[in-house]
Amino acid sequence: MTPDTPADVDDAVTDVTARIRYLDEVMAEIDAEVRRRRASGDLPAGLERELDELFLEFSPVGLQGRARLRETLSLVDGSAYVDTAVPTASNKAVGSYIKRLIRKGLGWYMGFIVAQIVKFAWSVSRMFHVVVDHIEELEATVETHRSPDLPAEVVPEFHPGSAWWSAAGLAALSTATDRVLVGDCGDGRLVEELIAADVDAYGVDPSDLVLEPALARAVDVRAESVLDHLGVVADEALGGILLTGSVQWLRPNERERLLDLVSTRLAVGGTLVLHSTTPEGWASSVAPVVRDLAPGRPLHAETWAHLLESRGFHVDEPQRGGDDRRLDRVDGATADADAVNAAIDTINVLLLGPTEYLVVATRER
Amino acid sequence: MTAVHQFVPALLPRDATGDHTRALRDAFRAAGWESEIYVEAAHDELQHEATYFEEYPARARPGDVLLYQLGTSSPVADFLLGRPEPLVLDYHNITPESFYDGWEEHTTVKVALARHQVAELAPRAVLGIADSAFNAGELTALGCPATEVVPILVDVTDERAVVDQRELARLAGRHGGATVLLFVGRISPNKSHEDLVSALWVYRHLYDPDARLHLVGPTVTPDYAAAVFAYAAELGLADAVHHGEGLTQAELAAWYEDADVFVCLSRHEGFCIPLLEAMRAGTPIVALDAGAVGETLADAGILLPTARPATVAAAVARVRSDPRLADLLVASGHRRLADFAAERTRRRFVEVLGRVADGDRVVA
Repeated sequence: MTPDTPADVDDAVTDVTARIRYLDEVMAEIDAEVRRRRASGDLPAGLERELDELFLEFSPVGLQGRARLRETLSLVDGSAYVDTAVPTASNKAVGSYIKRLIRKGLGWYMGFIVAQIVKFAWSVSRMFHVVVDHIEELEATVETHRSPDLPAEVVPEFHPGSAWWSAAGLAALSTATDRVLVGDCGDGRLVEELIAADVDAYGVDPSDLVLEPALARAVDVRAESVLDHLGVVADEALGGILLTGSVQWLRPNERERLLDLVSTRLAVGGTLVLHSTTPEGWASSVAPVVRDLAPGRPLHAETWAHLLESRGFHVDEPQRGGDDRRLDRVDGATADADAVNAAIDTINVLLLGPTEYLVVATRER
Repeated sequence: MTAVHQFVPALLPRDATGDHTRALRDAFRAAGWESEIYVEAAHDELQHEATYFEEYPARARPGDVLLYQLGTSSPVADFLLGRPEPLVLDYHNITPESFYDGWEEHTTVKVALARHQVAELAPRAVLGIADSAFNAGELTALGCPATEVVPILVDVTDERAVVDQRELARLAGRHGGATVLLFVGRISPNKSHEDLVSALWVYRHLYDPDARLHLVGPTVTPDYAAAVFAYAAELGLADAVHHGEGLTQAELAAWYEDADVFVCLSRHEGFCIPLLEAMRAGTPIVALDAGAVGETLADAGILLPTARPATVAAAVARVRSDPRLADLLVASGHRRLADFAAERTRRRFVEVLGRVADGDRVVA
């Protein structure tokens, strides 16, 4: 690492403004060094995430869900007993004698009080056990209502790097100063395009198989879902988030969680880019198995805009594109042209039209 | 006669709050004021300098001002809530309980109680004195009517510490010419020691395979410390991470002298005295911009927007490979230290408390 040192470094020793400017330049060079190391493959893709996960293996904080509940419950059990044998050690000889005397004298009194406290603590502990058992029963019930996984061969493939909306998505994220996450990044082409535009980008995708080309090119991608990943990212750590793919058919509760995560993990001023199929496009172009088994349905662009605005985002006018399968109107000279065109307009509005849209939103608070 | 009496939960030797409290008492007395220290508990060494807080009512005089050194939960807080004298808070910050969640339940409860006590005391106080604007902001948010930012009174600024040369030679013998990263602070979840270990791993991977991490500080959260060292061992760094505690001032000075870069990735700091110690030792600083760290450091170090290990490692590498940058940071550190000179801080405390004693309660 042989970075350039600004010529005015000597001035920087005494001049506050020059010193701050110099340190800003140093920080920019440090960022560039990190990007260079990532691009060269010196920093393996997903390394930092793996380090975080490794530490969590040694941490009680790493316990999630049922394991954490049980761990906490054991702490409650462990602290439900109150010891009346107060320590009597003292640096002064007489001190220890006096403490023993006090303990002996108050033993009957403390014993009576403590017995009631312990009884109360054990009652509370028992109550928690009942609650935890009940929660686990509920979880088991909910699990039985889980949607079946979609057969891999019918899940639509996305190639965002070549899609109509990628230029607009890249432009919206090109000014991000913090890291940019690409959800369902597929083969990582969009991540690479962002990096080429000097954006510190990385991607996640739940499918190991889909990620293989990206990993082979040493692109920083990780095999996990957007929700899982955002769950462990620090608040306001991201300068931009790009969502596409499975975001379209999330369950309602997952969609709520996604919105909560996006509106906290994204820094204020950060940009969210969301690409989705329209409900009309979903009905006309997605495989029947996907339509039937997907846990959720795509929303209209206006609905995403409403949800995002309610969480403090400014939403630009949605852009629409993709296949346009609208029927052409018939010539006005044709018999019954007005009636036919009215029917065509109705069909176009209700069933056809642009099959995809792009929402660009900025977090304002 | 002006009287400013201090209340502190525990008066301990070789402790930042204990040293600060005793230095303040001396400053108040030097100003011709009466000043005593009232405590919930005092170390045996300092028993003769402290009085049990419940003895204060019998000694109270009209015109007394009470100064509470607030850094943990204590029955002293409830006692002061019931006192009629003007109350000034000297707020050293309390780590939010969320940092201990899952690690140490009893500490979670203790710090939650402490924060509850701050919330009760803040509106009752006539003035809040804070080590940093970060701390002052917390007091203001809790309803404190006025605040002043005055640094903690620590004697790390006046002259270079005496270095234990034997300890320095011992440390140098262990690592040869390898890069040494140092962090000083208690081993507690808010200090993010695991990020330091991650940064060391990346630094060794990319820049110096023999680099070492020296951690100095008491183990206050044993489960967390165990996790940090187990994590280091899992990464093959058991011999590269060296922990020191119970050091004398001269030994501590040797650890600073021995280090190439002081790295602080703490997520929550109300002031961060070790930054000043590193400045005094002439150790270049790389630190995460969190809590009051940026404020204390100013331009005397590289302030990182993230604790991502690759960024930390690149920053350390930059300092190591660029002697002019290192010299600039050290020079800036010495200049920054002047802002915390003990004499200057003493004068500020006397000036601020004097105004309260004169009845000018709302100062800001």
